[in-house]
Amino acid sequence: MITFENITKIYSGIKAVDNLNLHIEQGTIFGFIGPNGAGKTTTIKMMAGVLRPTKGRIYINGLDIAKEPSKVKKIIGFIPDRPFLYEKLSGIEFLRFKAGIYGVTGDSLREKILYLLNLFELSDWADELIESYSHGMKQRLIIASAMIHEPRVIIVDEPMVGLDPRGAKLVKELFKEWAGEGSTVFMSTHTLALAQEICHQIAIVDNGRIVASGTSEDLKKQAGVEGDLEKTFLKITGGVATK
Amino acid sequence: MRIFKLLISPRFIGFKNSLKKSQSNTKIKILTLTGTGILFWLVLFFFTFRVLTYFSSQEMIGDILARHLLAMVFLTFFSMLIFSHIITALSNLYLSQDLELCYSTPASLAELFLSRSFYTVIDSSWMLLVFGLPVMIAYGVVYSAGLNYYLSLIYVSFPLIIISASLGIMMIMILVRFFPAQRARDIMMFLSIILIILLYLLFRFLRPERLVNPDAFMSIAQYLGALKAPDSPYLPSHWATDLLWARLTMYSGSQILNYLLLWSTAFAMVVIDIWLAGLIYSEGFSRAQEAKRRSRAGKRILEKIVSVITRPLGPDTTSLIAKDIRTFFRDNSQWSQLLLLGALVVVYLYNFSVLPLERSPIKSIYLQNALSFLNIGLAGFVISALSARFIFPAVSSEGQAFWIILSSPLSPRRFLWSKFFAYLLPMIILAEVLIIYTNYLLKVTAFMMALSSVTIFFLVFGIVALGVGLGAVYPNFRHENIAQVATSFGGLVYMISSSVFIALVIILESGPVYTILSSHFRGEPITYLQWIWIVGSFSLVILLIILAIQRPMAAGLKALNSYEG
Repeated sequence: MITFENITKIYSGIKAVDNLNLHIEQGTIFGFIGPNGAGKTTTIKMMAGVLRPTKGRIYINGLDIAKEPSKVKKIIGFIPDRPFLYEKLSGIEFLRFKAGIYGVTGDSLREKILYLLNLFELSDWADELIESYSHGMKQRLIIASAMIHEPRVIIVDEPMVGLDPRGAKLVKELFKEWAGEGSTVFMSTHTLALAQEICHQIAIVDNGRIVASGTSEDLKKQAGVEGDLEKTFLKITGGVATK
Repeated sequence: MRIFKLLISPRFIGFKNSLKKSQSNTKIKILTLTGTGILFWLVLFFFTFRVLTYFSSQEMIGDILARHLLAMVFLTFFSMLIFSHIITALSNLYLSQDLELCYSTPASLAELFLSRSFYTVIDSSWMLLVFGLPVMIAYGVVYSAGLNYYLSLIYVSFPLIIISASLGIMMIMILVRFFPAQRARDIMMFLSIILIILLYLLFRFLRPERLVNPDAFMSIAQYLGALKAPDSPYLPSHWATDLLWARLTMYSGSQILNYLLLWSTAFAMVVIDIWLAGLIYSEGFSRAQEAKRRSRAGKRILEKIVSVITRPLGPDTTSLIAKDIRTFFRDNSQWSQLLLLGALVVVYLYNFSVLPLERSPIKSIYLQNALSFLNIGLAGFVISALSARFIFPAVSSEGQAFWIILSSPLSPRRFLWSKFFAYLLPMIILAEVLIIYTNYLLKVTAFMMALSSVTIFFLVFGIVALGVGLGAVYPNFRHENIAQVATSFGGLVYMISSSVFIALVIILESGPVYTILSSHFRGEPITYLQWIWIVGSFSLVILLIILAIQRPMAAGLKALNSYEG
């Protein structure tokens, strides 16, 4: 479903992502974890078509994003870590805008929008301008908007930032549900407990390179540690636990 | 004092770093902006010098006019300083993003207030000081003033700036005491725009050009009456004028009272501001953090506008244009500038209605047609100025939410052309209204009417394409205020390119049009060679317009394709 072939990204002479190779099957929840500055957001932005790789190719559903960006973007739902939105639109107008941009029309659109607003507990705020939303509400709106075109691949950068425990639980349940229905979820996160709980596959990235990958159990074996993913992560990335 | 210094240091360090780490293209930008600034400075100097030289050649009334002009300059500067301080104080004292951090430090309220006021004074005054200087130097040169005059400029402008800053800051503190800062900004923006429009219309309808022609008045008393400036001995600008005029004319009387008035007022105002800040600043800041709920007024009208305009378009383009229209009308700082546009158009049309065509020594029919032709250029320039403010920032207006477009299936090409077509229609309507109505006032021939209407129609395509295209070449998605985008380096490049484009079209058309009109009025046929020249010129015009549409849009598309957010 998602394939990275020798992906490299260089910013002003610095390698943010270094020769990344990955293959993710359909229906997988894939966790991309790593320390700050490891290249997670850069990788995610390349997948979403916001950044272009310096070298290499990314295939989503067999389509090369560099060659057919519009086709690929139609099947992607991108959720960035910082909720920058059009502040002068209301929540409902923003969802209508996203639907229009993705070519989603038809009689059922209104029901779909109302369903999403309800699902993310934004119905009472639907007609308020986004500028009056809290950080968490904006994040919920972005997630709702990413679902409007029923994407087959969800790319999420730090899904839990700004969400309250209810919102976080809802998002976890949704990810599992989508994966169960055959969608692929690619998420970067610092919340290791989340990765351990819901990800089928995890890759640990450091200095732009994948240093370990597999299931949570595979990673523990590779690192030779017992216990939770945090210890594994710190061991592999050379954190405090090793000192 | 140590904390005050620390609080103001980030701005200076940031400025130093941006200079130190600037890349070569940033240096080119700085050089271009400095060059343009110097050019503007010189033009202002020579213009003032020329006016003052003319005044000094007028016996009896020359000095009265020069003194009058100085009073008007100071009154204008003083009012503009107050206005500018109000706007920047609101942002520096209540809305800046770093305020939360500053408020969480152990700095005292007075230190915090003074540091933000310091930023306000710097932000508001530097430009006015720089561009006020050529006017003042011109006075010094024309009146052969001594060193005393130039030193007085420093002693006078400093307290004047402090008084205006204190007044502006005081007004904004009181306003924010009663309204949340966001609302206060909207109110101030709206009131100031109305005030500017009224002053502008009043000034224009007074026809100040008559003042340099005393013959137009019935008597000297009527003339002197018309010269009366809205001046008062209680205004700081009046004290400043008195003081500097005395230095210019080597008046030997003491100016100690004016100095005392200026400096003691400045000092008293600062003390009052600090006292007032202690009472209401912190509460106002707290209110400024309140979330703004949506105003429902005008919602139905807006929805109607959006649905009518976007009806014939595809879903993606419709969504984009509908979003742009909604955002525009909900941003008070944006739509309220339409009022300014209205005033500009009224004055533009009014100027044509008062042209004394019948008194001209040139044969009227020639003059009317020549004016109509020049009018194409003027209307083009008006459209360019509007485009600089509204169309050039169209791409940047996506702001930090541009990731939504980048990650969507909407291609950069479709995105850019949607912006182009969204702005094209209103601009064409405005341009045609300007041209057709002014031509009607000028009573031009049918040929000139047709030529100007067609020319402006196609000129607008080029002007809009330049705006959208160059706006994509020089985007600023991290602006705090969209108006900043228009005054950036890219905005300057746009204005220069657009002006050159209009000028070239006018130059290419003017020769053939003169030939056609001459042959028509003289009853002589157009020669074969002249026909070749006419066809050649108009073909070049068509080519130029095509290039003005295609090149900037292609450059904009290239820039968007390689943009990495």
